[in-house]
Amino acid sequence: MPYDQSFTIEENTKVNAKYYRLTFRAAHLSEAVEPGQFLTLQINPSLDPFWRRPFSYYRIQKDRIQILYEVLGRGTAMLSRKKKGDTVQVMGPLGRPFSPKVKNKKRVLVAGGVGVPPLIFLAEKYAADYLLIGTKSSAEVLPKKELAKIKAEILYSTNDGSYGSKGFVTKLLEQVIKKELPENIFIQTCGPNIMMEAVMKMALQWGIEGELSVDKPMACGVGACLGCMVKTSDGWKASCVEGPVFNFKDIDLATTLS
Amino acid sequence: MMKTDLTTKIGKLEFRNPVTVASGTFGTKDEYSCFLDYEKLGAIITKTITVKPRAGNSMPRICETAGGMLNAIGLQNKGLDDFLENKIPFFSKIKTPLIVNIAGETTQDFKTLTQALDRQKKVVRALELNLSCPNVEAGGAGHMKKRERILEVIKVVRDHTDLALFAKLSPELGDVLEIARDVIKAGVSGLSLINTLKGMAIDIERRRPQLANVTGGLSGPAIKPVALRYVYEIKKELDVPVIASGGITTYRDALEFLMAGADLLAVGTANFINPQATIHILQGIQDYCKKHGIKQLDEIRGISCLAKNN
Repeated sequence: MPYDQSFTIEENTKVNAKYYRLTFRAAHLSEAVEPGQFLTLQINPSLDPFWRRPFSYYRIQKDRIQILYEVLGRGTAMLSRKKKGDTVQVMGPLGRPFSPKVKNKKRVLVAGGVGVPPLIFLAEKYAADYLLIGTKSSAEVLPKKELAKIKAEILYSTNDGSYGSKGFVTKLLEQVIKKELPENIFIQTCGPNIMMEAVMKMALQWGIEGELSVDKPMACGVGACLGCMVKTSDGWKASCVEGPVFNFKDIDLATTLS
Repeated sequence: MMKTDLTTKIGKLEFRNPVTVASGTFGTKDEYSCFLDYEKLGAIITKTITVKPRAGNSMPRICETAGGMLNAIGLQNKGLDDFLENKIPFFSKIKTPLIVNIAGETTQDFKTLTQALDRQKKVVRALELNLSCPNVEAGGAGHMKKRERILEVIKVVRDHTDLALFAKLSPELGDVLEIARDVIKAGVSGLSLINTLKGMAIDIERRRPQLANVTGGLSGPAIKPVALRYVYEIKKELDVPVIASGGITTYRDALEFLMAGADLLAVGTANFINPQATIHILQGIQDYCKKHGIKQLDEIRGISCLAKNN
């Protein structure tokens, strides 16, 4: 059940060239949260920006919640300037999480950008066989400390080859598929649309099952505004309540990630 | 000191307080029930119901703007049968009066909806006629812009129910005061003012409109002064109940509309950004009344229309 409450920021720090990490305490919002669920923050009570912003849960320790976010626009730029002691209104937990169990298959997580935090959460809580992370360069690679509790083999790819393997993360995925064989794999992916589209196309080509987490413009977060709809084999679904995690086989690739 | 009596009456209808929700902003059933007790609201206004299910418009359908948002949802809903089967039982357990918003592509659609909902009088207390949705071709403002069509719909609906009827109007339709006079003559019990205002936004990176539908309805604090102006002008000229909507976000906004003469105060887009907006507004009105020694809302309702300098 979601709650809406205000909290006080404990920490809001720059982690590397890409991410900031926001920490706060909120009892109700940290109960029974599963990886892939999200919360929405009202960045300013003055209503600028007007909408709340959705963020994946990154890490939970008792009642302490962390989100890891990228500065992508005005809203997140304002959030990055918040200081310890500032209060922010937050609603959560929202949405349907990633499947915690993947039958007897190898769990392969494919992450990029804003999709990295929820998949780290998943790899810490339920373990995975692989966590593949794609990014631009070594400056955007997370510090070892952030990855210390992950129960998975972590492989990085960078566009410029400055860290891990050179190229897109799908190149790593292809290597994993060839090594583990497609029938033994279950993919869970979150990241930029262009990345997820490439991952899904590869999954379709190899007949691999999996789940993705979509990121649509969202006003309410509770299924009321019908703004974040995703076309599925069972009609349009609100990604805020019936997603953001969907099974590959249920969604219409062309309209969902375009 | 006694608690202020917030009871609001419109004809035979009695509401425990004037705070309600604008159509399309409060879900279709229990979406907000984990954040507030629906029985604390004065009334609940549903999202638009059509005879047949509607899939709505293509994505993207919403876009954030300064002090508000654009939407081009396109009246997505599961249709009349689903409403009767799955929504009515939920609302029958809630004492708060239910106002059902309806829209049709044809006059016959309005008649079908009216007849079906008239049979649910234990739950449905009034109908709000969506005569001004900016996002659908047929049945919305485009089609309904023809004054005669609006008046025809109202007459047919009036002939098939004795439920209270509210006509939801928009400045997009033309001269609101003139239309208001006509729809009152045609038999509505009151007006809902205002629907969203048509607008657009462009994504400068992709170099195309933000919405797949190109245009959408602007809502939120950005349109409040416009909505307030229409409520004020109508209440000053006409003796007609008004459900006010258009950017009501705080109790101060609500009080402004009340002082402009509004009977009910419909909180809309504010629900999206604060799920407890209605409750906060209600509390704010109570606190204001207590502070100023107001015993009944009618002491301040429409008070700004009486000011000498007008």
